[in-house]
Amino acid sequence: MTTTEPAAKPFKNMPPPPPSFLGSLVDERTQPFWDAAKREQLVAPKCSNCGTFRMPPSRFCTNCLSMDLEYEPLPGTGTVFTFIIVRHPLNPRAADFVPFMPAAIDADGAPGMRFISNVVECEPEDVKIGMKVKVVWNHVSDTLTLPFWAPA
Amino acid sequence: MSLKDKVAVVGLGMTYVARGEDAGLAVGDLAILAAEAALNEAGLGHKDLENFAWASGAGDPGGMAATMGVPEVMFAANLTSGPGGGAGALGLAASSIVGGFGDVCLSIITAQTAPKRPTGTSSVFRANPVAGGGAYGGPTGPQPEEAFVAPASISSQGATTAMIANRYLHEHGVPREHLGAVVVSQRANAGDALTLEEYLRSPLIVGPLSALDCTPDLEGGFAAAVITTTVERARDLAQPPIIITAAATGGTPSHATAFQMPSDTFGSSGHRAVAADLYAMAGMGPDDIDVALLYDDFSPMVLMQLEDYGFCGAGEAGAFVAGGNTSVRGGKIPVNTHGGNLSSAYVRGITHVFEAVQQLRGTATNQVDGAQFALVTGSPATIPLSAVILRKA
Amino acid sequence: MTTFEHLPPPSLTDAAADERTQPFWDAAKHGQLVAPKCSDCGTFRMPPGRFCPNCLGMELEYVPLPGTGTVFTCIVVHQPLHPSQADHVPYVAAAIEADGAPGIRFISNVVNCDPDSVAIGMKVQVVWHEVSDTLTLPLWAPA
Repeated sequence: MTTTEPAAKPFKNMPPPPPSFLGSLVDERTQPFWDAAKREQLVAPKCSNCGTFRMPPSRFCTNCLSMDLEYEPLPGTGTVFTFIIVRHPLNPRAADFVPFMPAAIDADGAPGMRFISNVVECEPEDVKIGMKVKVVWNHVSDTLTLPFWAPA
Repeated sequence: MSLKDKVAVVGLGMTYVARGEDAGLAVGDLAILAAEAALNEAGLGHKDLENFAWASGAGDPGGMAATMGVPEVMFAANLTSGPGGGAGALGLAASSIVGGFGDVCLSIITAQTAPKRPTGTSSVFRANPVAGGGAYGGPTGPQPEEAFVAPASISSQGATTAMIANRYLHEHGVPREHLGAVVVSQRANAGDALTLEEYLRSPLIVGPLSALDCTPDLEGGFAAAVITTTVERARDLAQPPIIITAAATGGTPSHATAFQMPSDTFGSSGHRAVAADLYAMAGMGPDDIDVALLYDDFSPMVLMQLEDYGFCGAGEAGAFVAGGNTSVRGGKIPVNTHGGNLSSAYVRGITHVFEAVQQLRGTATNQVDGAQFALVTGSPATIPLSAVILRKA
Repeated sequence: MTTFEHLPPPSLTDAAADERTQPFWDAAKHGQLVAPKCSDCGTFRMPPGRFCPNCLGMELEYVPLPGTGTVFTCIVVHQPLHPSQADHVPYVAAAIEADGAPGIRFISNVVNCDPDSVAIGMKVQVVWHEVSDTLTLPLWAPA
């Protein structure tokens, strides 16, 4: 084998690769999340003023309107809150990736918010609401590492 | 049934970020900060908010409610068109409360960042709104109708206003010195000593307008918020309630429609019908008003509004202003006691609403002694035009 | 080709006409001023929009005018809004009440005279500016 191409699918039933601009959609407010992801540490954005978790990490806390934000380390485990199975590719780029399973995950240690991500490393029909999952890391590029979730 | 005397202004908030001071904030963010300041002033929190009644151009009320984490939205609406509805946002707020939707209303009356224009510092360079398609939800994009207006190169809001103003000046024999009187009087209210001679030396830009007749562009980002609630609930809050006595929103549709307005109202602010509706709801007339905050995007509009709101007879406003009758220092009807936008920047007249409330609270910088009733108007532009009368509780 | 004094900055090179407005530009090309008028109730309408503001009729016809008129209001544009316009100021923009078409105004320019001499009430006559093969614009000059 002389090819140097990376494996197209490091995870079973993973979604199509994210758009290339995603790696640069970062500002001071969100950078800590991606820095932690690169080290394979899941963190959750949390209001520094009142302690409310907020996802996505937007400018204003919906509980107290504070603009301050901090990140709290999480154990990396969670529960499927809801999910879908995408079987039909909406664009040609996704053709080689169906089926895949976008999901909303309640992460342990961060009540009141959900990570919007994908369940991977299992068959679509095995994903269930309430299923226990753990974070796995997809190193997309030098600047982007994405959390996925696999059966715990 | 009307909204007369049922709703009070209980909080004001303003956010301003100077140009160059990059706070990394979008206009919607500035609006949320302004809302928070207004809520704080009122002694309320964002979770007390129920209704969202916006002036046009200030963003999406429902979207902001969601961003602010408001538990339940009971009313969310915008006035349409341009800055003509600034004062009218208070009328919409009062309507929502009197209508029974919810008791506490947030109005974002403006939220904007400064336009970046290569050539200028003046609102005279603003785009001409006259020829646009899609006004009624019809076709958008360049329309064949535009070929009947665009070639004339009336290519700014200042030029549009000048077309109207020249007709007004002509019909009543009003000299340019009387436009100057407006500018000089308002500058004096703002504590800025501009003389008529200095005014007359300022070169003409378009028609009778020099740069001094046009509101300077805002240098930075800006948002303003007003909180309203029922008069009953207002009594328990932090500020003395300022009651919305009457509101009117609308006007004669032909105003500023490609210069085809009826001849008898062409040389006017277009506010005549709004004024009649407003006074009818209030059950009062111009003699009852103690201070008038008149939208002043361009100086001639102040003269025309003084007439359309009945403070003067037709063609008499220039001499009235030149005679000192609109001065905050002993004038018969103090006008734009804060100096107006002509003396500050183009913020869509929001400071007029704030000044009116502060005059009635008794906390204005240039306080009019014993002010009981204040008139606030929105832009003399495309409909809806709007105005409110506020009073001390 | 005729030249004009105090032309405004160039804008359109084509009228972007549709079936509704084409007759105006066809007549203009032949040096004939016409006015758009509701076929149902006879109200003139300018610009020739889809709906008659008097009766909401959508039918439109064009009636020939003598090409004379009066300045209803006007402005002198002294200062260029953009550097590319610098060579075109001062110019006069005006609303003209054309004889034979009461209730509407032509939004145009007064040319071929000292801008400061243009006044409300001044009598003017149409002159034609052949901008391109597809656009001939009416302008107005002192009568």
